[in-house]
Amino acid sequence: MTDKPLKSHVRPPQDTMPGGAGQGCPAPDAQTRSIWRRIMDDFADHCRARSLFVLHYCTGCGAIELPPTITSRFDMERVGITPMVTPRQADILLITGYLSLKTLKRVILSYEQMQGPKYVLGFGSCTINGGMYWNSYATMKRLDQYIPTDLFIAGCMPRPEAVQQVLLKLIEDIDAGRANAWQDYYRNYDFYLGNQQRLFGAGWNTPTDVIGEARHYGYYGPGTEGEHTRLLAEGGGSAARLAHAEYPSTALTGRIKS
Amino acid sequence: MRLLADIVLMPLIAFITGLFLVLMYRRVRAKIERRVGPPFFQPVYDIVKLFAKKTQISHGVMHDLSIVLLLGGYITAEIFLPVPGFKGLAEEGDLLTLIYIMMVPMLGLALGVGSCANPNGSIGISRALTAMLAYDVPLAVAIIGATMTYGTTNLVEIVRIQQEGGMATWGIATMPLLAIGGYLAVHGMFGKEPFEIYIAPAEIATGPMVEMSGKYMGALFIMQCFQLYTIGVLYVTLFLGGGENWPLFLIKVAAVVFISVAVTNVYGRYRTDKVVRWMWKWPTGIALLGLALVMAK
Repeated sequence: MTDKPLKSHVRPPQDTMPGGAGQGCPAPDAQTRSIWRRIMDDFADHCRARSLFVLHYCTGCGAIELPPTITSRFDMERVGITPMVTPRQADILLITGYLSLKTLKRVILSYEQMQGPKYVLGFGSCTINGGMYWNSYATMKRLDQYIPTDLFIAGCMPRPEAVQQVLLKLIEDIDAGRANAWQDYYRNYDFYLGNQQRLFGAGWNTPTDVIGEARHYGYYGPGTEGEHTRLLAEGGGSAARLAHAEYPSTALTGRIKS
Repeated sequence: MRLLADIVLMPLIAFITGLFLVLMYRRVRAKIERRVGPPFFQPVYDIVKLFAKKTQISHGVMHDLSIVLLLGGYITAEIFLPVPGFKGLAEEGDLLTLIYIMMVPMLGLALGVGSCANPNGSIGISRALTAMLAYDVPLAVAIIGATMTYGTTNLVEIVRIQQEGGMATWGIATMPLLAIGGYLAVHGMFGKEPFEIYIAPAEIATGPMVEMSGKYMGALFIMQCFQLYTIGVLYVTLFLGGGENWPLFLIKVAAVVFISVAVTNVYGRYRTDKVVRWMWKWPTGIALLGLALVMAK
């Protein structure tokens, strides 16, 4: 499956207008914060960096490297990283290896259930360029086309030392307030949804109202809505039928109901 | 004025002590597994991080109110606990009030989880309430025995009786069987292995907590601090002579939690029906025997 983004889906620039249509809790611009706000934000980032709950998405073979990372040999809890079992409580979504069309859907559903700030780590070459599944008809090649990915761990498969190194890098990034890829999902939702629709069909829908959340939390950007999100508004019925006609390969995918 | 200061300070001290107990719990667990364990401020980092989440999902009014019940129940319970140096409402309330209030958080959790419509949550909370039914029986027997021995349900009076008579009049010396039965019930109340089937991360994804995100989860972490402290203090008051002064008192509370934590790692999980059967057999049996001895005296 070729999952290069379509030409018309070129990612919009990163500079977005903060709080475009936000009416809920707008995120203030980093430069115009008051001193008090900056101290509070730094403190929050300090704590965020030292308390990370990881949701392991372990369908790939790389999952076998995680038990040593967590348990007594390397002990992730030393730096405040604990495994968590539900997306609602988790901060990191760790994708260990290849994702097929079917599992990618579940990953996206899990990702949208997580509460921001949330971070995605791609584990192994499968998430970077498809790895040894490059020729497969049913696996996706680049994780960051579908959900915003903070860091990748290269290798097939990466050893626990590499996992730890990337987690430490993530901690460093969060501490410095740089790990903001999750906001990109709100600001450029149309880009991600477009790529998702290319795999799952135009009828693809998730229970989470991402555009509504983007408005509410003040992450609405010029790339939040576009031609692909318009398909969402049209509703599943006709769009799903259209999808089956237009993309025969998506006949196996259905509309996700909440 | 004094009461107002107590109402503010007693939950605060309970919370800070609870943070240390959570840290101890995680460190001891790590040491048993030959790990280094979390850093000193880990419980604080966790709570601040959860409250600093930038997005938040609520599942309706009942879900929000459940957090009020959860924390409110425990914060109220702190004021009724007899701790050294504070009067609070320990004199006015008594043992039965305290036990009553300590059930509110679990019921609050049940109401909140019900509105989440997550099947894991519903299974979890039904298991949790069944477990509560299981460990409340031996606990009730132990409490009845203790009130018969001391001749009062007034917590301040219970502590005074034990402190005036010295160690020989501690509950653990005068009614050892009730103390053992009560401790097994307390271990169930902590919700650790082998009685943690209602959390069971690998099976039902933390059960009642499955839909709790961000600030809700932060509130649950705070509740855990209160829970460890409250149950520890209850046991210390009934069986270990209460608190003469703060250092000794905290050592006793920590010891109660420590023994529970130290044994928890070697167990797997009992199924819910086995929890009920075990709890109604051994701790209840031991406690009933203890009650018979107390009544025969």
